[in-house]
Amino acid sequence: MIVRSIRIADWRCFLNAVEVGPFEDGLNVIHAPNTTGKSTLFEAFRRALLDGHKVMGKDVEALRPWGRELAPKVTVEFVHMGQEYRVSKQFLDSHSAVLERKENGRYQRLAEGTAADDKTREVITKNPPGRGLARLENWGIAQVLWAPQGSLAIGQLSSDVVSDVRNMLSAQVSGAGTGPVEKRIEEHYLQFFSAKGKLKTGKEAPLLTRLKDQLAEATEARQKAYTLYLAFEDASRRVEELHARRAQARHDADEITKALRDARVVADAYRKLVSERDQRSERVTAAEAQYKELKQRIDLIKSTETDLSEARKKLATLENEAPLKDREVQEREKEAAKRKAELEDARKGREAVDVASQLADAARRFNECHRELHRLEELTSKIKKADKALADCRQKRSAHVAPDARTLKAIRKAVKDRDDAQVRVEASLITLEIVPQKDGSAEVVAGEAPGAVTMKAGIPTQIQGSPEVVAELPHVARLRAWGPVGSVEEHRGARAKAEQKLKELTEPFGTSEPDALELLAEMAKDLDTSLAEADTRLKTLLAGRTLEELVQERSILETTHKTFLDAHPEWEKAFPDSETLEAQAADVKRAFVACVENAEDAWEKAQNVLAAVAGEKETLSQRLEDTKRQVAGLVAKLDGLTTDGKSLQDRDAELQRVTMAWEAARARFTEIQDQLTQYEDDPVAVVDRLEAQLEAANQESSLAREREVREEARLEGLCAQGPYSALASAEERVAQLEQEAKREELRVEAIRLLRDTVAACRTEAITAVSRPVEAVATRTLQRIAGRRLGRIQVGESFEPAAVVPETFEQAVTLDNLSGGEQEQLYLATRLALAEVLGRDDRQLVVLDDVLTATDAGRLARVMNVLEEAAQRLQVLILTCHPERYRGLKNGTFFDLEKLVREAASK
Amino acid sequence: MKLLHTADWQIGMKAGTLGDTGARVRDERLDAGRRVVETAKNHKADFVLVAGDLFEDNAVDRVLVQKVADILGSFGGSVFVIPGNHDPLVPGAVWEHPAWRSAMNVHVLKEEAPVEIPGGTLFPCPVLEKHSGRNPTAWIPAERTGGIRIGLAHGTVEGVRQDEPDYPIPRDAAQRAGLDYLALGHWHSYATYPGADGAPYMAYSGTHETTKFGERDSGNALIVEIAAPGAPPSITPVRTGGIDWVTVAKEIRERGDLQAVREQIESLANPSNTLVDAVLSGLLVADERAELDHIEQILSSRFLWGRLDASRLRPSPEDDTWISNLPPGIIRDAARRLRDNPGASPEIAARALMELYAIAGEVSQ
Repeated sequence: MIVRSIRIADWRCFLNAVEVGPFEDGLNVIHAPNTTGKSTLFEAFRRALLDGHKVMGKDVEALRPWGRELAPKVTVEFVHMGQEYRVSKQFLDSHSAVLERKENGRYQRLAEGTAADDKTREVITKNPPGRGLARLENWGIAQVLWAPQGSLAIGQLSSDVVSDVRNMLSAQVSGAGTGPVEKRIEEHYLQFFSAKGKLKTGKEAPLLTRLKDQLAEATEARQKAYTLYLAFEDASRRVEELHARRAQARHDADEITKALRDARVVADAYRKLVSERDQRSERVTAAEAQYKELKQRIDLIKSTETDLSEARKKLATLENEAPLKDREVQEREKEAAKRKAELEDARKGREAVDVASQLADAARRFNECHRELHRLEELTSKIKKADKALADCRQKRSAHVAPDARTLKAIRKAVKDRDDAQVRVEASLITLEIVPQKDGSAEVVAGEAPGAVTMKAGIPTQIQGSPEVVAELPHVARLRAWGPVGSVEEHRGARAKAEQKLKELTEPFGTSEPDALELLAEMAKDLDTSLAEADTRLKTLLAGRTLEELVQERSILETTHKTFLDAHPEWEKAFPDSETLEAQAADVKRAFVACVENAEDAWEKAQNVLAAVAGEKETLSQRLEDTKRQVAGLVAKLDGLTTDGKSLQDRDAELQRVTMAWEAARARFTEIQDQLTQYEDDPVAVVDRLEAQLEAANQESSLAREREVREEARLEGLCAQGPYSALASAEERVAQLEQEAKREELRVEAIRLLRDTVAACRTEAITAVSRPVEAVATRTLQRIAGRRLGRIQVGESFEPAAVVPETFEQAVTLDNLSGGEQEQLYLATRLALAEVLGRDDRQLVVLDDVLTATDAGRLARVMNVLEEAAQRLQVLILTCHPERYRGLKNGTFFDLEKLVREAASK
Repeated sequence: MKLLHTADWQIGMKAGTLGDTGARVRDERLDAGRRVVETAKNHKADFVLVAGDLFEDNAVDRVLVQKVADILGSFGGSVFVIPGNHDPLVPGAVWEHPAWRSAMNVHVLKEEAPVEIPGGTLFPCPVLEKHSGRNPTAWIPAERTGGIRIGLAHGTVEGVRQDEPDYPIPRDAAQRAGLDYLALGHWHSYATYPGADGAPYMAYSGTHETTKFGERDSGNALIVEIAAPGAPPSITPVRTGGIDWVTVAKEIRERGDLQAVREQIESLANPSNTLVDAVLSGLLVADERAELDHIEQILSSRFLWGRLDASRLRPSPEDDTWISNLPPGIIRDAARRLRDNPGASPEIAARALMELYAIAGEVSQ
């Protein structure tokens, strides 16, 4: 489809009707400054071809010129497949659509309303918008051909466009006849499979599905039949087992019955023997009891008599011992009393012990007090002396003035300074020495001491001065000496300063001689040492206390001393011998203690003896009583045993008789017992066991029979169903269905494989054919941008996906390209695809203000490409830079601003 | 003494591979049974011996039991039957059916005990369980007591290849037991076992009606004549089977082979009573595809049962018409791929190519 003209009115900025056209088949450029309405014109063109005239909404309302209630209108004349058409649409108010076709040179109405919308749209797209304005995906092939402002990039193309491109490409790879075959294959395929490749189900399910369902049912039926057959086999086996079990139970019962019969006979005989044995056992027991009783009585009588005799003897002995014991107790009591009195006497010696001890203690303390008092007096005296010595030292030290070390050091320095200054003074003086040969005088004219100077023969006389020394020897000579000029005054000043300093420092000490001062300092040091020693001595004597404390302590001791003397005045003259007194006190004490201990021992012994004897007496009394009671008891017992009046002899005779009877009974019992031991097992128990076993066997047999009958009935029921025949039929049915399903599945899979193989071949063919699209686009790009970017790689839906530079084997995604390169790449791809789409019918390519990032150099190459493309395509460029496109040789230019102005002036 | 020896009727057996035709084949076995009885009558046999496996299983439909009892009962003379390993004497066995009590001339021999028969003694060896390693003829006392001695047993004669010995019967069992003839059942093909003098004293009658493809010498009953005690028996097989089981296996190598196969199949007599299993392998040329379809149609329409297994038949790679007769372009590419790179399933690929060829043919018309 190519466009001839566009007329627009009451559309956004287009208040007056503006017509742009007629457009040439090749290159057309619509130029105008910004906001003139280039893109609006393009928009109106699109709406005319793609949108329904009845569309509403705020996007459509926005088409009205601002502030006006005007209905947007557009008319487009276009050519499609050699036919000329004109579509006119009015939106919003009184919306309408009319499609006309040129017939015999005149436009005749072809469709109106929605039909006009549909027919017009079919030229571009098969994918109309559902509601609202058409979006990019509804543009059909215009997605490739028309690039709106700022949208040169090719995004995801809608499937119908991809399909169109593919179909156009594939027509080249398929020969005649391929299409019908493919179509038939597809028809066969769709008989079995849905479009998504799944086997059809439901009403449209193919035979295979039904066969599989039937097979599933048949398999289930076979499984049931097999289960039934297994149940039959099982039942048969069980019946057989139950037969065998019942036979075994019957056999066991017969065996048991036979054994039981024999056992019963044996048991009867056994019972008889047992009964007789029991009787004999009773007799034995009775005889034994009688014997025992009798024997026991006889033994008892004898022992009782013996016991009674011994008890009586014992009683007599005890009765003789009792009074003796009484007498002994009395004697022991007397002895104990005596020992107690002795002990009390011994204890009275305690007082003397105390007195001696106290005396010794007092003597010791008195002596200690006296010694301590004496010591304190000596100590006090020493302390006083030391204190006086310390005071003397302090006084001496105070009186002695001497320089300290620091002062001494300063004095030494001052002396040195003075001496140095002196040296310098002397060094700076001129010295004239005269050694007269006879006595005489000289007159010092210039020098330190001008005036007459007496000289002695042979004795040098020095005259000093600065800066010269002049001396006259009367009537002899005028002597003049001069030398280097020095600052003697300065040196003198320094010397005076040093002397002054020295004076200040030494004035307190009365001498300025360093040695004397040293001596003074030494003496002061010695005095300090003495002072320190005196102080130390005093402190040692005080030992942390004060003199007052010591005095007070002495006073206390004196008082204590007086107290002792008051108690013992004899001690004033002669000190007590505390050691002797203590020794004496100890002796007294020892004697006392020994005496008391002896008395206590004696008394204790007496007590013990008394207690022992008293105990013996008590024991004797007790024994006497017990013996009397014993005798009485034995007498009573004997009386009780002999109440029948029989004698011992009679009883012995009777015992003998009973013994013989017992032995006879025992012999008879043993005889029966021997007979019974011949039986290994208890025959009665054996009979019981056998009876129980027979009972169990019979029960088992009847249970087995019941089960057998039940199972036989069940087996019969299963037989009646003929499970094997049912299974055979089921298996044959399954086999039949499996064969049919297999056959059908083979066909279905063959169709699927065929279809997939053809599709794969098609895809490969298309891929091979789509390479020319890549090649064309690549060539175009290389013409514009050079070889640097290499080959364009196009995706399955023909959108450019990457570039593969020649020097770099791997694909590079487009976001790695510059903006200009991307523009050029998309343009090249659009043109390549447009050429494919335009093979059968010349197509319109619209470029709305694109290539804004492309520089002038490349733009020139783009112009060449567009001019070539315009030989096969109609190209419509919208731009606000017409100067860029002036290079086009065959372009037709439309000044939109001018057209708008002209329309406004009409 | 003249007797008819039959065995292994396997009444009620399933024919899984035959699918829905199995029922018909089962019915045919009853008809074959009637033919056996007819044969016995025609040859004036003194009695009939059935050496086991009268039924395929003890759990067959009881109607079949009645039918078989009726068929045997229609003989008129005595029929002696022993249970076999397929219908052993176990609880629930077919032998418990009341039909046997009604058929007075049919004697189901359930014990190892001699039975008086016209002209001699019969020593039956009934089978009491499905499998056993015991020689069923071991109980037969060897002392001759006069009269012709006939044994009736079901088992495997030593020397027949099998995984485990199942009711093994020595090759000289007849001599050991002093029998004039030992009638055997278990194996479905007719076979005789000569004694020391070269005469056959023991034989398998085989099944009276073939039971599967490839079964040798089956579908017979034996007429056995014994002139006197100790005389070698004369054994005559008589055809009783009604269905032919035919296998046609052919490797197709060159043009014309398929046609030959078709002609062979078409030449088979009595197609309504014939089962045909055709297995073709080899290479198929394009223009013989129709021949293949024809064969399949003949098999499915003309015969009692027919199957064509062409799973190992492949389009010939040397026959370029598979490709050249197709429209150029992707169709030919697809055909080439199917023929030359069949992938995981050559059978499906071959079929796909044939479908393509057929579709192309339809479209071109």
